[in-house]
Amino acid sequence: MRHDASLGRSLGKSLGGLRLAGTVALTALLVGAGPALAQNQAPALEALVASGDLPPLEERLPADPLVVEAPSVGTYGGTWRMGMRGGGDNGLIVKTVAYEGLVRFDHEWKNVIPNLAESWEANAEATEYTFHLRKGVKWSDGTPFTTADIGFAVEIYQDPDYPASSWIDNANNPVHFEAIDDYSFTFKFDKPNGMLMDQMASVDGIHITSLQKAYCGQFHPKYNPNAAADAEAKGFSSWALYLQDRCAWGWETIRFSNPDLPTLYAWVIDQPLTANASHVTWNRNPYYWKVDTDGNQLPYIDHLDMRVSESIEELTLLALNGEIDFQERHIATNVNKPLFYDGQEAGDYHLGTVVPSASNTLVLQLNLNHDDPVKRALYQDKNFRIGISEAIDRQEIVDVVFTGQGQPYQVAPRPQSPFYDEELATQYTQFDPEDAIKHLEAAGLTETNGDGIRLMSDGSPAKITVDVISALRPEWIDILEIMQLQLASVGVQIEVNSMDRTLFYEKRPSNDFDAQIWAGDGGLEVVQEPRYYFPFSDESAWAYRWAQWFQGLRPEIAEEPADWAKQQMELYNQIRSSSDPEERSTLMKQILEITKEQFPVIGVSLMPDSYSIIKNNLANAPETMFNAWLFPTPSPMDPATWYFK
Amino acid sequence: MVQFVIRRLIAMLLTMFAISFVAFAIIQLPPGDYLTTYIASLAATGEQVDPRVIENLRQQYGLGEPYLVQYFKWISGIVVGNFGQSFEWKRPVSELIWGRLGNSILLEGIAVIVMWFIALPIGIYAAVRKYSLGDYLATVVGFVGLAVPNFLFALLLMYLSFIWFGQTLGGLYSQGLENAPWSLAKLWDFLSHAWVPVLVLATAGTAELIRILRANLLDELKKPYVTTARAKGLAEWRVILKYPVRLALNPLISTIGWLLPALISGSVIVSVVMNLPTAGPMLLRSLTTQDMYLAGAIILLLSILTVIGTLISDILLAWIDPRIRYGDK
Repeated sequence: MRHDASLGRSLGKSLGGLRLAGTVALTALLVGAGPALAQNQAPALEALVASGDLPPLEERLPADPLVVEAPSVGTYGGTWRMGMRGGGDNGLIVKTVAYEGLVRFDHEWKNVIPNLAESWEANAEATEYTFHLRKGVKWSDGTPFTTADIGFAVEIYQDPDYPASSWIDNANNPVHFEAIDDYSFTFKFDKPNGMLMDQMASVDGIHITSLQKAYCGQFHPKYNPNAAADAEAKGFSSWALYLQDRCAWGWETIRFSNPDLPTLYAWVIDQPLTANASHVTWNRNPYYWKVDTDGNQLPYIDHLDMRVSESIEELTLLALNGEIDFQERHIATNVNKPLFYDGQEAGDYHLGTVVPSASNTLVLQLNLNHDDPVKRALYQDKNFRIGISEAIDRQEIVDVVFTGQGQPYQVAPRPQSPFYDEELATQYTQFDPEDAIKHLEAAGLTETNGDGIRLMSDGSPAKITVDVISALRPEWIDILEIMQLQLASVGVQIEVNSMDRTLFYEKRPSNDFDAQIWAGDGGLEVVQEPRYYFPFSDESAWAYRWAQWFQGLRPEIAEEPADWAKQQMELYNQIRSSSDPEERSTLMKQILEITKEQFPVIGVSLMPDSYSIIKNNLANAPETMFNAWLFPTPSPMDPATWYFK
Repeated sequence: MVQFVIRRLIAMLLTMFAISFVAFAIIQLPPGDYLTTYIASLAATGEQVDPRVIENLRQQYGLGEPYLVQYFKWISGIVVGNFGQSFEWKRPVSELIWGRLGNSILLEGIAVIVMWFIALPIGIYAAVRKYSLGDYLATVVGFVGLAVPNFLFALLLMYLSFIWFGQTLGGLYSQGLENAPWSLAKLWDFLSHAWVPVLVLATAGTAELIRILRANLLDELKKPYVTTARAKGLAEWRVILKYPVRLALNPLISTIGWLLPALISGSVIVSVVMNLPTAGPMLLRSLTTQDMYLAGAIILLLSILTVIGTLISDILLAWIDPRIRYGDK
């Protein structure tokens, strides 16, 4: 323990020296520009090796480093500038540097490929997975990454006194860890877990590699009997809070506030993320374990510079002024697009295509579990939902709100997805007020009151109060206002109820809403995020109580679902227990068939493509990429291989 | 006079106590707490948290406790200088706010001084030379300044500076200097950044001040004592500065107390737009995330500044205007 700490300190010192040398070398590079020769490591690191501050490259790299293919072999140097929004924007860091799990997705988001694990096997029942780690991978402090670190992470996540949580301590099917040797281990599950590899390749996979035993262990009472006293001495009321402060799990904001925390990322923190930081900066990790096809150590880019700004306007101007090298997050709004398009030449950048993972711009989720029996019966009536859907003139919305981008679409897999089903995507999207009225009448809404609003079976007007968080997506209000007029003409009244997100979420468990609005997540990550295809999670607001029944975590508010939903849940449980991708995909298609038949939620239009700002001298950056949380772009597009021409 | 100040001081302490209670109630008013906001913001990016984690965190933070217990813990900490922990940053609040509050006071202070320096001469001029070209000009500029929202003016300046000079305005310091100790270079860097926000913050206030001063002074200038002074052959500048201006300043001084909080809360949007490291954006952010101890500390400190400002203006008024001092007895 003590030995490790002193090792960490001396390495910290040498990293401090490295920082200084890095700046000097960068200036040298900028001054004495010119094509760099084929090298094995960055010049800054070479200098450190020469002076003895850093072990030679062979000792730092694994025996069999991960070779990353890229369109071209690059040169070292430069700073990648981007913009981040202070608090709550740890997502930017996760999506830029922290995506280093045992496995990862390929660029097309199709296959799971090796990362920190070289290979893996699973048994046929999908209850046992054996992983083999890449031998000789080192943490950013130079100590080896082994199965001990994996075992430690499992232990910490499963510690009841420590509030970290992920799939590792999933109450329904927790991981059991068994180390075979330093580089091989097994995950065992009580129940089949067929989706483990997809989950581990997604952003969730970084949990298991986020904690180094040597460093983080010193804050845990099991490894340091004085942990509680140490925490108190530092002003924390418990060891758990101190451990969280030093070693926050996964992608917690404060994880990036501690520059001493060893990581496996391509860049290590220089200026940490704090409440008052105006820049968060990163330097290359001299122990990064990936190389290019010529054997040069990655990353190519020396530094990352994240400008912390609460001001979207400032970030927009920075991008227009060519002071941002690659960015999609925050600034790539629909409204800004013409501005960025026109500014390409002046700012010396161009626009790349970003395909969103969400299927729909707006999902109208009627509360099928409404407490009021009249509304519940009405919302559960498929005719009512068809009537609403056909009364919406989607093309008008697309033209007015999205300047013609996108097309009428239901909540369904995107055309790029293997689960794409044209009928599911387009059923009831034609604008047909007459047919809509027929369906509304079939749902029992035959009488109208003096204002032309149809009356429900209890004689009260068919008024739907729609909850929406306007701050999240301003266009939701625009869409709803158009829908309001369109639906009024067939006799259904919509009341737009804009609110803060906290209240929005509190209304779900208390079941106090008619309908809620959200975007169509799950357009590409169909199997992992089926919230609109069946009552899957807390995000299935349209059938929140049924989803509780499926999850089984809060039986007090759960409710037994309709038979079709139960059938879907049964199918999904089969997906979870299947280790065969083909079979999983067939089962998912069966779920979607039922979704198509039941038509539970109403969509408006296909989420139009977004764009990224790419500086013209940035090479290897993707011209087209997906954008999702589970596929945390741009990280899966290997930013370590990007470089400045 | 001494008795007057003492009485004011006691009233101030009681007000502060009342404010702390109300401030804490206000930050507790919105539905939910930090953790519900946290879950909601995670969900917005597609992330999810296990309910058990939230339960565990809620216990750690003591969020489930009744209002009075939470308030008592909070206020008894503050008495010994402990403002509690920021949930979002997992740091003591006192560690986070002083730097920002310092920037705020510095910036607002400069803005106030600039405001007075511009507004006083112009206001006096506009009153003395009523309906002259200069007066009309000052009036027009004043009304434009009043009518243009600060943040719009800031946006405009940012855009123009980008179009004309290819420069992005924003922040208060250049990269690398923000954490450096104060030096000539840093001071220069600060001034070269700060003039824009100072200008923006000062304009609206300037316009208002010009109008008030002009109106007050016009009232005074008509009074017989001014004519008498002139008749006795006093120099014109002396006639005006010595008596009418002093009286016209009265309403300005009595509002010193509101100046600081008004500037800070009025500058929130400007600070967000221009990305200034002041207390405004932090207050906004802590309110939206319901980081209640952080928000509470900022609101409390702002209130205390207001109360202190009011005290100062009371004392100043009593000092320059005997009527108030004697009326008190």
